[in-house]
Amino acid sequence: MAERARPPVLATQELAVEGEAAAGTTGAAGIPGRERADRVRTVIVYLILFGVAVLFAIPFLWSVSTSFRTLQDTAAGFSVLPRHWTTVGYHDVFHQYSFGRYTLNSFIIAGAITVSNLFLASLGGYAFARLKFPGREVLFLLVLGTLMIPDQLRLVPIYEMLVNWIPSWVGHLGWHNASFVNRNGVILIQLVLAANLFLMRQYFLTIPRDLEEAAKLDNAGYFKTYRKVMLPLAGPALAAVTILTFQGMWNGLFWPVVLLQDQSQYTIPIGIAQFIQKYTTLWPQLMAASVIAILPIVLLFVLFQRYFVAGVAASGVKG
Amino acid sequence: MAVAVAKRKQARGFGSERLREALVGYGFILLPMAFFLLFFIFPIGYAFYISRYDWSIFKGAFVGWDNYRKLYHDSIFWQHAVRNTLVYTAFVVPIEIALGLSLAVVVNQALRFRTFFRAAFYFPSLASSAAIAAIATYILASDGLLNTVLGHLGYHHTNAWFAEQSTALPAIIGLNAWTTSGTIMLFYLASLQAIPTDVYEAAAIDGAGAWRTFWKVTFPLLKPGHFFVAVVSIIGALQMFDQSFLIGGASGGPNYATMTVVLYLYNQAFNAIQFGYAATVGIVLFVFIFTVTLIQRLLFGKAEIG
Repeated sequence: MAERARPPVLATQELAVEGEAAAGTTGAAGIPGRERADRVRTVIVYLILFGVAVLFAIPFLWSVSTSFRTLQDTAAGFSVLPRHWTTVGYHDVFHQYSFGRYTLNSFIIAGAITVSNLFLASLGGYAFARLKFPGREVLFLLVLGTLMIPDQLRLVPIYEMLVNWIPSWVGHLGWHNASFVNRNGVILIQLVLAANLFLMRQYFLTIPRDLEEAAKLDNAGYFKTYRKVMLPLAGPALAAVTILTFQGMWNGLFWPVVLLQDQSQYTIPIGIAQFIQKYTTLWPQLMAASVIAILPIVLLFVLFQRYFVAGVAASGVKG
Repeated sequence: MAVAVAKRKQARGFGSERLREALVGYGFILLPMAFFLLFFIFPIGYAFYISRYDWSIFKGAFVGWDNYRKLYHDSIFWQHAVRNTLVYTAFVVPIEIALGLSLAVVVNQALRFRTFFRAAFYFPSLASSAAIAAIATYILASDGLLNTVLGHLGYHHTNAWFAEQSTALPAIIGLNAWTTSGTIMLFYLASLQAIPTDVYEAAAIDGAGAWRTFWKVTFPLLKPGHFFVAVVSIIGALQMFDQSFLIGGASGGPNYATMTVVLYLYNQAFNAIQFGYAATVGIVLFVFIFTVTLIQRLLFGKAEIG
């Protein structure tokens, strides 16, 4: 949750670009005697960097290594690699501890929220960036203001609303006996996130207006302009929204813990939380579950790194 | 010319193009705005309303400020939840900022494998907090990797770090300083890249070394970045929940050592089933965080003007 608040993103900023290094280290090359000192320094910098990178990686590597061990192996003292390779840990978490189900649930929740955010944030972002209507600035400030409201404050009121109000409202619409203290609720309360709407608006503001003018001449409606002209141009912003939303929801713990009460709807993080409390020393299984939780994010990160590392212009929005 | 003519035609054709544009605009933002009003703005007032009642799951008697009075005298809240949260914040924020800033300054240089290093340092910020807590529980277990390594170095520590009252919170501080440093690194990278390179060239001509350049040039120029990072980190730290919940369980064990304000709120709501009281904790936390944000805004404003 908040502890790893996701950075505010401006999709236009690209931090992963190679080559445009800010200086700060070069400088004094012409001074005699400096050159050797510089080389020594460079070697030291690289050693430290690789050292820190290895330190950062050890917990993940250690968990992968343990996930392929037998339980006896984990108790038999230190070894870098498993003494006997086995996939028992993975087999157990899928077959005995329902992690197959949890994985599916995590995909459903993260997927549904991502899709709805893509649509609502881009549609709203387009309106705030391009269409003129009275009160636009005030309403947009209101959207940004929601970023300052902590989830914890919303916990009790939203729970009450999901238990009492929303089911009766949707009952009037013909959806009887609906429950929202479950996956529906987790999805409903995160249908669109202000950070995503902000990101889309900022991106649309950077697109030249000429293209829309052409669409206007064709007498295309606003929705058609949005769909046929603006959306195709907003690829990088849409990619950033997709990846960051999916990652955030995949890892999400607070709302699922609050709202998911039926074990058949648990997500991976809840499954892990329960496992930590209940089966403290089944390390291979616990590490296998952790690898399952982390692996999709690793794939996303490797494939779309520039959209992750992109952005984070310190826009001062969050907070 | 042609555009102007077409526009005029269109305007006449629809009676009022501006009205149509406004209506479409409202239509497009209708769903998001309704959502934000219902699930963000309204809950603030509703939370305050609930906090004034003796409210378990269903609304009970109106009690005025009683919940606030009770909270004022709640020793577990102040001595454990608030104290732990403040201690946690006081330690984790400077550590993660120092770590994140150091990483940012280093990977901002012209390095080989720069992208790889940035990715490696950022990745812990992206991975699931539950998975990381699980891995940490394993590494910090009594016979875990850390104690094994420490044993080889001649320091024998035999307890599980998260299970011991004196080490549980410090261990969480260390864990979260590590996982958040990557995000902070990215924030600082953005600020660092806004600094023009000729500033460094001037420092180099003056013969300033890397260390002096950093403290005399880079660090002061990052001032707006410092404010931003500090406030985001403080607000994040004040809301710490995941790691306490995952590691110590909902009870904030061992013996309240990992109880935080948010975990306490969660407990009051879902273990004690005291919604009115939980809402009170939420309001107090919100007011506190809002004040921190406001102070930041004032400092920010001044920094920008001066």
